Amino acid sequence: MSRRYDSRTTIFSPEGRLYQVEYALEAISHAGTALGILAKDGIVLAAEKKVTSKLLEQDTSAEKLYILNDNMICAVAGMTADANILINYARRAAQNYLYTYNEDIPCEQLVKRLCDLKQGYTQHGGLRPFGVSFIYAGYDSHRQFQLYQSNPSGNYGGWKATSVGANNASAQALLKQDYKEDCTLQEACATAVKILSKTMDSTTLTSEKIEFATVGKTESGEIYHHLWTADEITALLKEHKLGKEEDPEQDS
Amino acid sequence: MGSYDRALSVHSPDGHVFQVEYALEAVKRGTCAVGVKGSDIVVLGCEKRSAVKLQDTRITPSKIGLVDNHVCLAFAGLNADARILIDRARVEAQSHRLTVEDPVTIEYITKYIAGVQQRYTQSGGVRPFGISTLIIGFDPNDKTPRLYQTEPSGIFSAWKANAIGRSSKTVREFLERNYKEDMNREETIKLAVKSLLEVVQTGAKNIEIAIMAPGKPIEMMPVDDIEEYVKVIEEEKKEEAAKKTQRRGGAGSGGSGLTSTLLSQRT
Amino acid sequence: MAHGIMDGTDGWGTGGCLSRLSDSGREVLLGITGKDFTIIAASKAAVRGITILKAEDDKTRALNQHTLMAYSGEAGDTVQFAEYIQANVALYGMRTNLTQELSPPAVANFVRNQLATSLRSRNAKHVNLLIGGFDPVKKTPHLYWMDYLAAKAEVPYAAHGYAAYYCLSILDKHHHPDIDLEKGKELLKMCIGELRHRMPIEFKGMRVKVVSAEGITELEEF
Repeated sequence: MSRRYDSRTTIFSPEGRLYQVEYALEAISHAGTALGILAKDGIVLAAEKKVTSKLLEQDTSAEKLYILNDNMICAVAGMTADANILINYARRAAQNYLYTYNEDIPCEQLVKRLCDLKQGYTQHGGLRPFGVSFIYAGYDSHRQFQLYQSNPSGNYGGWKATSVGANNASAQALLKQDYKEDCTLQEACATAVKILSKTMDSTTLTSEKIEFATVGKTESGEIYHHLWTADEITALLKEHKLGKEEDPEQDS
Repeated sequence: MGSYDRALSVHSPDGHVFQVEYALEAVKRGTCAVGVKGSDIVVLGCEKRSAVKLQDTRITPSKIGLVDNHVCLAFAGLNADARILIDRARVEAQSHRLTVEDPVTIEYITKYIAGVQQRYTQSGGVRPFGISTLIIGFDPNDKTPRLYQTEPSGIFSAWKANAIGRSSKTVREFLERNYKEDMNREETIKLAVKSLLEVVQTGAKNIEIAIMAPGKPIEMMPVDDIEEYVKVIEEEKKEEAAKKTQRRGGAGSGGSGLTSTLLSQRT
Repeated sequence: MAHGIMDGTDGWGTGGCLSRLSDSGREVLLGITGKDFTIIAASKAAVRGITILKAEDDKTRALNQHTLMAYSGEAGDTVQFAEYIQANVALYGMRTNLTQELSPPAVANFVRNQLATSLRSRNAKHVNLLIGGFDPVKKTPHLYWMDYLAAKAEVPYAAHGYAAYYCLSILDKHHHPDIDLEKGKELLKMCIGELRHRMPIEFKGMRVKVVSAEGITELEEF
């Protein structure tokens, strides 16, 4: 690689800041909003999909929500291509842990592994930081249900409710206002969809514009994660009177 | 300034390595950490950012990390960088045990950490670590408390008491004025808490204290115990202030409540 | 049970001299689980060929607060392997600031993985293992038997070496998953008595350690 390019790596500014990282954060603040809410019996992740064209095939693949392993899912905001690399890395790390210890990787360790990789890209030569923030929802026996957030700097933290992406300031304010300690998963879903409806640019919510996922416990005590189908989302929207009336002719 | 701070490992004509100096700025932006040696224990104290309402308090990464059973480290600067550096130290500590069958000495691991930091100031295409560290502990089969500091440049030094991070200068000056030789356990912890209170206005909930004694595992002090120390210190301060106002005829100071709320909003 | 170390090809070689491999057969490793503990016992004799080199050997390593590993086999390999495992398990604990330790099943799986990798390398480690532990979260005792081919089994009681021929039948008859520590010790004493009585090998007594919720302690009475 030519020297001219690899000198353009992440370096300190005179005030001791890392501008590359801050620019990456800037990029994320234009991405679709994603939020997560921790309930006492599970976690909900919800995200806004930016539908750029009517011709785009829907339902073929998730854009904002991904499964990492049997007990963890995540929401992304930022550059999807970068996210794919990191998600792939996380999935491998999780399986590698399972292979080595025959136990699922504890949530914080998986988050840490991913963040260590992100950190590397803020320090080593010729590389720009990853332009993605994540919200992770997971379960392990050490700390039960857990919600994390990480950003391009490689920092992470645990949250009861959090949001990333465009309008995340207003989403965070709404979360602060609406979050109830020890709420149920059902209540959390209601809160999530309500907040999304307020922060999204478009006036009406449809199942094409949002993605929804939950982590919870089945009646037999097993952990499940579930990416919601369009029908399930539509049903939820209807329940909370947020979806538009059925009218196939009307533009969204 | 020119381009001497663009390329990474380059001296400017007057001999500065700008990236290292800028890294020190990153350290100054980090929360404060202090280390104090007593006669038979050594204490680390850290300023802890207050948790925002929706933060999960179970999972806030600590600024104090265990390198080995007998070595403990606190840092100021970039969290993510610290995680990587501490991990390098942990691997070295176990690897050292494996090769020479002895735990590392505090000086050895300090030198190692400083060495890693130095390499990142001199190799191509990397930036320095944006952290300073305080390393405490006891050498194997030894009762002498140890306290070292490392910097982004790779400099390391031994101290009786020292501070790094935000307002470290104020705290270090405070320590210089108040440090006594051969302090007992109580005095040592009190000095650490008191020096942190110079920059932490919000009391015990924003302070972390770790204590190491020879041959014992690390002791993280419960918040309630720190609260006790803070109370005693504040009582003493009040008494002193009362004496002063009596002498001067009373000109009290208020408004510290305001600064504390402002500070707690920084995350 | 036909263990590799005990079949006819090992032991006395064709030249009439003792093969090195049979050293491990003469080392005694025993493990017994109970209601809330796991006992690990290992013979104190360090053997090489027809000579006892040492009578106060310790063939165990504490891997973390609640996991103990006993080993027998090729003299150099055993300690090398045990220390390598010990360092890695300790590193795992450090990386979580000692807030989370590997559970005994996770440790056992990690050890099996490492031994299996070693087995398929150019210089395989010849090590037989017992891993005893107590899971402080789930409050369950664990005991794993593993041979040098990295075959792993979780068992209520276990033995390595020729001692297996004398002890397993006793344990088959008297062991019960709900026994308390006193009964466990009693069983171990029966086993050691039988070895002293019937086995024509001097093993210089046993070093006995217990893993329970409180951690690892050595029993001095043996």
